[in-house]
Amino acid sequence: MTTETLSPTLQRSRLNNRLRAMVTQENMITVVVALIVAGAVIVPLAVLFVSSFKVLDPLGWDTVWGFGNYVEMFTDRIIPKAFLNTLIISSGATVLATFLGVTLAWINARTNCPGRDYLEPYNLIPFFLSPFIGAIAWHNLGEPQTGLLNNWARDILGIEGALINVDNIWGVIWVTGIFFAPLVYLFVVGSLRRMDPSLEDSARTTGAGLVRTTMTVTLPLVMPGILSGAIIVFVTSAGEFGVPFKLSAPYGWETLTTQIFSKAVGDDANHYLGAAMSMALGIITVLLIWVQQRYIAPRSFTTVTGKGFRPNVLDLGPWKWVAFGYNLMFIAVAVVLPIVCLIIVSLHPVWTGKMVWADITTINYVKTLFWWRPDAIAAATNGIINSLILAFGGASIAMVMALVISYMIHRTKGFGVRMLDFLSVVPIGFPGIVLAMGVLVTYIQTPIYATLWILMLAYITRFFPYGQRNISSIMLAISEELDQSSRMAGASWFTTLRRITIPLLKPGLFAGWILLFIIFLRELSISIILFTTGTETLSVGVYYLTNFENEPLTAALSMAQTVLLLIAIYAFRRFAGREALTA
Amino acid sequence: MTSEYEDAYLEVENLVKYFGDDKAVDGISFGIPKGAFLTLLGPSGCGKTTTLMSIAGLHSIDGGRIRVGKTVFTSPKEGLFLPPEKRDIGMVFQSYAIWPHMTVAQNVAYPLEIREWQRSDIDDRVAEVLKLVGLTDWADSLATNLSGGQQQRASLARAIVSNPSLLLFDEPLSNLDLKLREHMRVELKRIQNEVGITSIYVTHDQSEALVMSDEIIVMSKGKIEQRGGPLEIYSSPVNEYVSNFIGVANLMQAKVVEVSETGIGKVEVSQGGQAVKLMCRLGPGIEAGKDAVLSVRPENVHAEREGGEGMLAGECTHAIFLGSYVDCRVKWGDFEWKVITHPRNHPRTGEKVYLRFDAEHTLAVQP
Amino acid sequence: MNMKSDVKVSIKHLHKHFGAETAVKDFNLDITQGEFVTLLGPSGCGKTTTLRCVAGLERPEEGEIQIGNETVVAPAKDIYLFPEHRNIGMVFQSYAVWPHMTVFDNVAYGLRVRRTSSKEIKTRTMRALELVGLDHLAERFATKLSGGQRQRVALARAIVYEPDVILFDEPLSNLDAKLREQMRDEIVRLQKEVGITSIFVTHDQSEALVMSDRVVVMDKAVIQQIGGPEDIYANPVNSFVANFIGVTSLLEGKLTARNGGVCDVEVPSANGSDPLQLRGAGAPGAQPGDGIFLNLRPEDVQLHLEAPDVSDGKNVIEGQVIDTIYLGSFLEGRVRASGHEIGIQIDHYENLSPGQTVWLTFQPEHGLCLTE
Repeated sequence: MTTETLSPTLQRSRLNNRLRAMVTQENMITVVVALIVAGAVIVPLAVLFVSSFKVLDPLGWDTVWGFGNYVEMFTDRIIPKAFLNTLIISSGATVLATFLGVTLAWINARTNCPGRDYLEPYNLIPFFLSPFIGAIAWHNLGEPQTGLLNNWARDILGIEGALINVDNIWGVIWVTGIFFAPLVYLFVVGSLRRMDPSLEDSARTTGAGLVRTTMTVTLPLVMPGILSGAIIVFVTSAGEFGVPFKLSAPYGWETLTTQIFSKAVGDDANHYLGAAMSMALGIITVLLIWVQQRYIAPRSFTTVTGKGFRPNVLDLGPWKWVAFGYNLMFIAVAVVLPIVCLIIVSLHPVWTGKMVWADITTINYVKTLFWWRPDAIAAATNGIINSLILAFGGASIAMVMALVISYMIHRTKGFGVRMLDFLSVVPIGFPGIVLAMGVLVTYIQTPIYATLWILMLAYITRFFPYGQRNISSIMLAISEELDQSSRMAGASWFTTLRRITIPLLKPGLFAGWILLFIIFLRELSISIILFTTGTETLSVGVYYLTNFENEPLTAALSMAQTVLLLIAIYAFRRFAGREALTA
Repeated sequence: MTSEYEDAYLEVENLVKYFGDDKAVDGISFGIPKGAFLTLLGPSGCGKTTTLMSIAGLHSIDGGRIRVGKTVFTSPKEGLFLPPEKRDIGMVFQSYAIWPHMTVAQNVAYPLEIREWQRSDIDDRVAEVLKLVGLTDWADSLATNLSGGQQQRASLARAIVSNPSLLLFDEPLSNLDLKLREHMRVELKRIQNEVGITSIYVTHDQSEALVMSDEIIVMSKGKIEQRGGPLEIYSSPVNEYVSNFIGVANLMQAKVVEVSETGIGKVEVSQGGQAVKLMCRLGPGIEAGKDAVLSVRPENVHAEREGGEGMLAGECTHAIFLGSYVDCRVKWGDFEWKVITHPRNHPRTGEKVYLRFDAEHTLAVQP
Repeated sequence: MNMKSDVKVSIKHLHKHFGAETAVKDFNLDITQGEFVTLLGPSGCGKTTTLRCVAGLERPEEGEIQIGNETVVAPAKDIYLFPEHRNIGMVFQSYAVWPHMTVFDNVAYGLRVRRTSSKEIKTRTMRALELVGLDHLAERFATKLSGGQRQRVALARAIVYEPDVILFDEPLSNLDAKLREQMRDEIVRLQKEVGITSIFVTHDQSEALVMSDRVVVMDKAVIQQIGGPEDIYANPVNSFVANFIGVTSLLEGKLTARNGGVCDVEVPSANGSDPLQLRGAGAPGAQPGDGIFLNLRPEDVQLHLEAPDVSDGKNVIEGQVIDTIYLGSFLEGRVRASGHEIGIQIDHYENLSPGQTVWLTFQPEHGLCLTE
């Protein structure tokens, strides 16, 4: 071989080869996709950041640059208290949800509690239902005068006054806590079930008793899961809009989210102040999520082993019935009571706090679902159609996007891969209401404002990571050699994708799709910022009815949403596993 | 331009592959005739898998040329790169890579469907190949219901079904347990013999290489250390590295005393004041007066109860009973000889023994 | 219950069921101080269940187990001690090294549970770590260790508080071949050094042969044979043990005559040719006409390329080579004779081709006759 005497042309073509090697299809495509995703994710956040430094002059005509919005957050009459309330609510809900989640997970994974194989799906139902609806139901259960539980207490127990009152900050903590308990449950139950039993056996044979083993081995091993769950609950509670809006804001306990909402729409709208408040909320949540992703999730000790272990099961003796009762109580307060209450309320023309058999009617369903007087409550009826469009369309588009992104991250080595990986985490750090403010200030002057497209855009931007993670976890589990052996068998890249890769990903695609469908169907905090007349969603319809109409109408539409969600949950259970939720 | 392996069926010429700044394969060349079974053997990171992947086309190469028959697979200099699906190769992966969403028969039929065979021809051929690998009864079960050994058979069936021009094996047995691995070695070799497809096999397991191969290439750090048949590699390693990597060997520093035309010479070994001259075979590049390494396999050291000329007097420090043989350690100075003895008559721990060597099975190699 | 002073672990009439399935049936074994006993058998034979009963991780239905001078379980007397109340150490297959602790904390755990003073914890933990050669990694987190190192931590953790007995549940089966051999030698060395009574469970017969003072071979919940490694290899009591320990060819035939210690055995042909007439040894209770398994180890068979002289009373079998495998140190081969496969082992390379006729010889005393 003679390489010393290369002609000039050959040398140049060599250089060209080097260049051409860099401009491969792979690199081009990953860079382009990364840029599109970056546009969707980063631009609204950047505009939000910039807007927060624009201060509206007192007349509302013009803006000047400055820190005025941030100063106002501390000097305002309400906002500092809203801040404090958000902290109290998030902390309280985190404590409650963590307690419920850990105890329920332990009962289900590690004790001989009766019926534990059947209880889990019911424990998870609140995860899928709308906490906003939960707040409405609990308002009807625990309002001092008209609350169903309070009236039953007066009739049956004969007590004076009210048994409970949920229309306050404690009510918010209660409803948020029980609705987010499944999040902690999901993070903990996996590591409890998958834990290698010999980790505990070895503590026992070393001389540690049951209690000591639990405290020094079992609990530390699931601690990363507990912390992850707790942080996610804290962040989700801080970004929750519906529950404080229904239960505490009308009674004087404003939160950051209800304040952002009041700055986004209505008479004293001030998008720039809203942007500053969103930034404040966003920074807190992003920091917490960063800590969780960077330091806590990687410490997870037990999820790495794929081995099927039979975990140690504790014989509770007669106490197993206590555990069983405890679990049933949770399902009762989180699922059964709210739904029963909504059904009862929705069957009355007016709600006075007592069941009146003679008054039972389906008129509320006729009104909300069958266009009885469409002009009067158009918001409600529009919502059903719009939400179904958004859920079907949004979930489908988001999953295609998630598939492309996952494929790029795990199967190609282009330049944009690292950026894509990062961009797929960012939206998780921001509450929907924050991202929605960003989208609002970014697109308010463009034609997509006041269309369903802006809602679709915000939904997908905020939630595509859930779909992406569902696909990625499967893609990581199936070896690349499955693809490679198809290429070796003579199939092209595209045939391989069509016949091998996508069929293998089908469970993940489907699980992700239903999960997004459910999320989009109940979405409130983004919709509430971005909707206009004609683009109301289901939850916005519920908001409209509870704000401007009466409780029975609200309950009827709430039931309609709940039934749709329950059907979707059933489908999810049929076709996807528990793992799809924490991915 | 002519090259050394121009007449070979598969020719790898001056293959170079970088990963970042690491030179994974450093300009190796080899060729094999049609129908042969070649093993690339070496520790992890020696470049054997990289070489295989380069032939498969699962990554591009930085220099050199790969040719099979009359088809050039890749040659960066000429700007040639045939995508893997155009190379007509069957491949068996370590993880089996059986598609879990298809039945065994569907897995095996896949390459034929890609080649657009008639349905009836596909069915006949799939049945034929499944019979060959002994999976006829499992044709319609989902791939995930198979055991590891069965999955590997299915994987092999899929690789050979289209009668490819080349068969590549990437450590196919390393996920199986010991008993099954030993069984599958023989099976794989039998099936390869029967279909007669030129095969390249990658492994880090030297006993696998010895059992299965027509030829072995021992690699280290991206280069070829030695190439030869199993017997040749085992009994005449060219250097210390190869003799240590293949099988077990007693390796001892030695000084070359005498070299003769016949390839038989004399070396001196010394330990703790004792020095003994031993007759031995000389490997390539051994010169009188230079240092060498004496390499003797444990089964070629004979432990006797009576001493004699050219024998080493030592003490048995361990006798590990392993059923069909007894693994003894014999201490001579500071050196511990590994000696294999027959279970019916083996030295006991603490017994004095004399080690005897035959020149034929004692080898001096380069350090 | 009187117990010999040097008996450390005594298991009597142990029974354990899982549902309808019998896991262990009438298991009896006394283990003396400092002894290394291996429970060997295929998976599902009851060896792990027996070990877990000793550990207290399973509760037997019947029988009695004593460790030291204490009865730790005896269902008939309503005695059951929790694992933490038995002075035992255990090493698990999955290492079970706690990932949230350092190496030091893992090993020190058993001492802390026993309320040892912190000064003593330090010295004893470091000494245990020195014994397994990990003292330089004391502050490292367990997740940062290799498989072999984790198993050493598990070993140190089990010996640090000087338990009465240490239990090994297939501790080497997750390691690769090279490491397995290394750890095997390490455990034997350590066990001899510390002098601790050990029960070792494995399905790998070579592990059992190399490591044990005594081997307990189990199959189908029942003990098949107890004996020293060389003893059970040379004198298996039945065809199961012969087959499970080492490699062997079992030729099934009939006892035709008996001359002193020598048994004449006729092995009927499996392919219509003449039966094999062989002479073996053993089977003291067998009568002519009884079924016999003739147990022939490959290393006791000599190969001849030409018809050998058999005046010395050796058995001769003529057969055809089926195949050979070159294993480096020796050649392993199979020869077909009268339709039976006989395994052979040849020290040096011979050029044998399949189908070639060869002659095998073996001494009558190496052909052990078994009646079951």
